[in-house]
Amino acid sequence: MSHLLCLSTFCKKMAEKGQIGQTPAMKNSTALIQANGLTKQFVSYKKEAGLKGTLKGFFNRESVVKTAVGQFDFEVQKGEIIGLLGPNGAGKTTLMKMFTGIIVPSAGELKVLGHNPWERSKDFRKKIALVMGQKSQLWWDIPAMDSFLLLQKYYEINDRDFKQRIDMMSELLDVKKLMHIQIRRLSLGERMKLELMASLLHSPEVLFLDEPTIGLDLVAQENIRQFIINYHKQNQCSIIITSHYMADVQALCQRLTLILDGKKGFDGPLTQFEKILGNEKVVSFTFEKAIDPLLPLWKGLDPKWNELNNQVELRIPENELRKISGQIIEQFPVIDFATEKMPIERVMKTLMNNPKLLSEYNA
Amino acid sequence: MMRNYWEIYKKFVSTSTTMAMSFRLPFVLLIVMDLCFYFTSLLTIDFIFNHIQHMGPWNRDQLMFFMAFMLLLDNLHMTFVSESFWELSMMLKTGQFDYVVLRPMNTLFSTFFRFFRPSTMLNFPIAVGVLIHYGLKIGLAPSAWALLPVFVILSFILLIQVEFIITTSMFWVIDGLGINFLRMQFQKLARWPNFVYASMPRRVFTLIFPILVIGSAPVSFLIDQSKWYWPLGLVTSIIVLGFVLSFLWTTGIRRYESASS
Repeated sequence: MSHLLCLSTFCKKMAEKGQIGQTPAMKNSTALIQANGLTKQFVSYKKEAGLKGTLKGFFNRESVVKTAVGQFDFEVQKGEIIGLLGPNGAGKTTLMKMFTGIIVPSAGELKVLGHNPWERSKDFRKKIALVMGQKSQLWWDIPAMDSFLLLQKYYEINDRDFKQRIDMMSELLDVKKLMHIQIRRLSLGERMKLELMASLLHSPEVLFLDEPTIGLDLVAQENIRQFIINYHKQNQCSIIITSHYMADVQALCQRLTLILDGKKGFDGPLTQFEKILGNEKVVSFTFEKAIDPLLPLWKGLDPKWNELNNQVELRIPENELRKISGQIIEQFPVIDFATEKMPIERVMKTLMNNPKLLSEYNA
Repeated sequence: MMRNYWEIYKKFVSTSTTMAMSFRLPFVLLIVMDLCFYFTSLLTIDFIFNHIQHMGPWNRDQLMFFMAFMLLLDNLHMTFVSESFWELSMMLKTGQFDYVVLRPMNTLFSTFFRFFRPSTMLNFPIAVGVLIHYGLKIGLAPSAWALLPVFVILSFILLIQVEFIITTSMFWVIDGLGINFLRMQFQKLARWPNFVYASMPRRVFTLIFPILVIGSAPVSFLIDQSKWYWPLGLVTSIIVLGFVLSFLWTTGIRRYESASS
């Protein structure tokens, strides 16, 4: 452990001297965000349960070093919307916090908009924004408009731009009537809309969204997504989003980065991610009556029948989709059929249950 | 830049006032509580002087002037920074400090000057009135009257520097309860003139951790202007602690690990 801590201290010292954090390759890069071998380790203490464990831990603590993010390489170009996906504790939020300069990396190189984020230059902080679904930046006891006016001063936004942005966003989000009500009196969905407004007042070049739709109902989720899409169309800012809702990712992201145990498992277009488990489409058929599940037609299609045997889910190779679907519709009394709406969700579930599949895919 | 900070500070004041005045009873109670504190502090000195003639080199009015000076500092402290010490601990624990780090401004400023207490501000004229009353009683020289506001500001700066330095340790220990009580104990020590302490603690709290300089330096000089070394010590302490604070705060912020979401 002491070696790891020494490494971390060494990296910090090197970074302070400008010897780490910007390689020649990074200097020439046009990427808005560029990370090479980014690593973050946290030290915590093990504590045995109960009073005895508490007393023992008070005098003699066993420290544990956890690598939240390890050797992470990443690049984001101007105007991209990228989804950072992964199970709880994978390191998504830690990455976001390193990108925004909230925490200092233990090792590796990182440039965001040409800055070392952890140096927290004023210029850098004026160009980014972070929305955290689980933490509010608005003041609880005062109306949002008062917080907005404070943010106007923080970011030195002139009155004309401020008014124009407030008008535009309040219109898009339909929150005109809510801006003069104390935050604590608003619903979660209403608060999140105002949080988004607060983050976008200064027109950031890079927007970090950490679970922006968490806890929201379906309509509120859809509203937030639509707003982000419209805002991106108008402003062409880069957006990095983490979410556990695949609908967010499906609607917003062109590119996906999957993090498992602090390491990058996948980085590529959404369409490619959907095909990690193979070029197959999941199609479900509903029949008028029960069907024999042992027929040779189902062989090789990984059928999943319901208890009444009148509904089946099949995995059909993409190039045979037309042929096999046609056969089924012709031979059986089909009353409904549907292709999978979000294959990404199935891929995520499968990979989270069996991360080895990803290693096999990458190999 | 200064103009922008002034604009931001005006917003801090207005949002803090909006927040404080939305709860009417606590707002009034805080005014009453502060007044009670001022008068019990002065009555304690008065009571002690019913039994003695002098305390060290000072008589009743001189010590009352010292106490009035410290109460004015306390009023400024309570008005401008006191709430922030309790808030910081909570922000570090919950990760709410993330938003302080993200804002494009000096984090020391946005951490410690964010919360303004308007209820205490209303007692400011009383605190000033008491100080003037005892200044007149001890017959301050005209030059001393002219220097008095300058010394109030310098002493206030030193007081908050000391407290900011103590509070910075929250980045290491996270739980701020013990640190806040320690800070308050140091405040209590500073509320008595340096000569009431034995030689060793007096030296430590004057030369190493200069909490006794906060009140004793300006008041000793205002009473006896031949003691020029006191204001010199006050200014030197402010400069040295400024560097210490800057170093510790930068180190503390880099150590900040936020809280999990």
